[in-house]
Amino acid sequence: MGLSAKGDSAVRGRIGRVVVLAAAVAFVAAACSSTEETSSSSTVAGGEGPRGGTLVAATDADPGQFNPAITTSGSVHTGAELIYNGLVELDEAQQPVPELAESWEVLEDGARYRFHLVEGVLWHDGTPFTSADVKFTFEEALLQYHSRTKSSLSGVLDRIETPDERTVEFVFNQPYAPLLQQLNVTEAPIIPKHIYEGTDIPNNDDANLRPVGTGPFVFESYTPGSEVTFTANLNYFKEGLPLLDRVVLRIIPEDANQVASLESGDIQWAFNVPGVEARRLDGSDEIDLLRTGNNPGGANCIMTVSYNLDRPVLADVRVRRAIALGLDQQRFLDNVLFGQGAVAEAPIHSGIPFAHDPDVAMPGYDPEEAGRLLDAAGWGRDGGGTRTSRGVPGVPDGTPLSIDFLYFPTFNDYAQLAAAELAEIGVDLRIGDTALERDPFVQRVFVDRDFDTNVISYCNGTDPEIGVRRMYVSSNINTNPFSNAAAYRNPDIDRLFDEARAEVDTAARTDLYRQISDILVEDLPYYWLVETTNVRGYRTSCSGFGPAGHFAEAASCS
Amino acid sequence: MSGRYLAWRLFLVVPTVAGILVVGFVLVHLAPGDPVQALAGEHGDAEYYAFMRARFGLDQPLLAQFATFAANLLTGDFGRSFIQGRPAFDLVAERLPATLLLISASLALASVVGIALGIVAGSRPGGVRDLAVSGTTLALYAAPVFWIGQLVILLVAVPVGWLPVQGMTSPGSTSTGLAHALDVGRHLLLPALVLASQEVAAIARLTRTGLATELASDHVRTARAKGVAEWQVVGRHALRRALLPVVTVVGGRTGHLVAGTVVIETVFGWPGLGRLLVTSVGSGDRPVLLAIFAVAALAVVVVNLVTDLVYVRLDPRIRYR
Repeated sequence: MGLSAKGDSAVRGRIGRVVVLAAAVAFVAAACSSTEETSSSSTVAGGEGPRGGTLVAATDADPGQFNPAITTSGSVHTGAELIYNGLVELDEAQQPVPELAESWEVLEDGARYRFHLVEGVLWHDGTPFTSADVKFTFEEALLQYHSRTKSSLSGVLDRIETPDERTVEFVFNQPYAPLLQQLNVTEAPIIPKHIYEGTDIPNNDDANLRPVGTGPFVFESYTPGSEVTFTANLNYFKEGLPLLDRVVLRIIPEDANQVASLESGDIQWAFNVPGVEARRLDGSDEIDLLRTGNNPGGANCIMTVSYNLDRPVLADVRVRRAIALGLDQQRFLDNVLFGQGAVAEAPIHSGIPFAHDPDVAMPGYDPEEAGRLLDAAGWGRDGGGTRTSRGVPGVPDGTPLSIDFLYFPTFNDYAQLAAAELAEIGVDLRIGDTALERDPFVQRVFVDRDFDTNVISYCNGTDPEIGVRRMYVSSNINTNPFSNAAAYRNPDIDRLFDEARAEVDTAARTDLYRQISDILVEDLPYYWLVETTNVRGYRTSCSGFGPAGHFAEAASCS
Repeated sequence: MSGRYLAWRLFLVVPTVAGILVVGFVLVHLAPGDPVQALAGEHGDAEYYAFMRARFGLDQPLLAQFATFAANLLTGDFGRSFIQGRPAFDLVAERLPATLLLISASLALASVVGIALGIVAGSRPGGVRDLAVSGTTLALYAAPVFWIGQLVILLVAVPVGWLPVQGMTSPGSTSTGLAHALDVGRHLLLPALVLASQEVAAIARLTRTGLATELASDHVRTARAKGVAEWQVVGRHALRRALLPVVTVVGGRTGHLVAGTVVIETVFGWPGLGRLLVTSVGSGDRPVLLAIFAVAALAVVVVNLVTDLVYVRLDPRIRYR
């Protein structure tokens, strides 16, 4: 998608800043006047199709259980999101559209949100869905066990009120802007109170293995390690949906075999098409591809290089900038991702249009400028070898400019390319013994802080509050995995993130995130390489898929 | 063989498995990392980590954790999976039949084919058939099993069409009885063949060498001199003695097969213990890992015992007391 996507999101970003608020208001109004809006609310690929039929889809991991409110695991959510609903769904621009809530009001400058629930929604067992289910789900499941929702809401949410069966109110300690981005089926699926009340929810095997939801599909059977089957919810509250009679979710651990099964026609939908296969299938008549930043486990990921700012060598921003200038983003996109993704053009992902700033002054690729910066920083070079220090503060003269680079083994290609590119500007990137599995990686980076640089896939989520803030605020420098790896401290950044969280006016928020992006690109505590894209593949006999969430809600097969 | 001997061997199974579990417990707990990470994903805050560690008892000293584990184990309770929340033993029990089916099919296939090939090769050592068999089996033995698996999928399953690439049953299948058995058999064929390929090589080469040695020995010469038919010479006089080391290897390689399922089950999407092991290692799901260790250890110990008992049948000179 490369260039076209960049152009597209640039336009969307500029326009977005102006119209997002207006659109949100309009949507609320539209939803209030007509509940039919809800039936066409999800993002879909392809058009409306015929009714009936079975879809065989493939995913790579065994779910184990089907309660999405107690986990952020993508393997659980892939299947469970067909069964459950959130209060809202998010459209492609991460803006909320009605789901279990048909409309909402933002009160008290964003310190109170009032949701009006759709009337007549039934759980799959026939019990009516009410506001008590919402309150119960948040208090007993999401705020306990759902790591993302717990960590973002538990400090700021004061209480949940249920004035009547169809009204829910979230009351915050202070204005809280990103709530609506955290209420979709991925972040906040609603589970039935009448089934879970009074039980130890994560250990309630009966309920977690025989899930009862409100969603488009009803759980039918589960064969561990093998497959999950679903049937259509004939009483689904979204008019006319779902179209399919049955969904079979096959567990196929190897991506390459998902593609082989897709090509042989054994399956009609694959969640993971590897980049190299995607390039091969691009012109196929039988298989179409759907590219998305969304995933049931998290969204909008950027491959990010972290600099350890505690290291004297990397404390100098000129060195950090030089390394950024020495890394050619386009080559990472072409050679590592096989074109499946986009060059990162800002610190915040383009999948969050209102916060993404495509005009920010990223370093770009300029090895000559990198050389000049390193010279100026005291890292001289004779001939073509590794640079050595000449008067760098805190570094003895003659020390070679040699830094380590930690990475997951699956990111080996990034390490190889980065080492080759940085060698050209005289930086020795040591990658020989730094391929680490997740656990030892986390230990060295976040607990021992024994590293110079690393590469991490930081997922921004559907709102900067979910997955961006944690990388930059000084209060999040700790031993928790995937916190502030750079140990970046900037009081202005801390303040701006706090302001953006409390600002409900989207245009004003946009402005705050632009200021944040400007500072980050100036300070370069990290360098943002490429935005990764997930490629889904499907047989052309089927259409109407969404990228995540209820991916098969509006799908059909002929 | 005395009953007392058998009882003693059976009794030894208990401390052996217990020892393996102690070592396993120490290993999985000393490995770096934190199972809560797999649950938290990227986004857990300090409070979440503390809460989940306390929930799983991971905030306790290692010795206290071991005491809890051992006490629960005495009641047959392996604890609950950190990741799936369900009893670890249930997870293992529901995956065990698939792995047992795969291993026993492979072992049977490897034994029959391996011994047959060994006879073909060993009855005339140095001949063309010997060279062909030895060459092929050596190549199979040297090739990594995941590579053979992928190759078989791409070159056999996809072009042939009716051989499934993935899984143990057809998608959404509700068949029962004979139809179900046939469906499973069709899915079993390729993974069992690939898993057996390495064992075939080991068994065939061992049979060949043993048979060749026996055929050159005095008692075979005597038998031939008495005019015993060649098939009887090979089948009754030479093979029986040549198979003794083969039995040892077949028994000993059961552990190897268990390890092989880790790869094969991933490549072929076979819903067994091997894949559960892979995902549990990845997520640091300690209760499930220990339950798998226990089952695998028990299986290997029992197979070794059975192997020793088969010796007696094959070689009348062997007596256990």
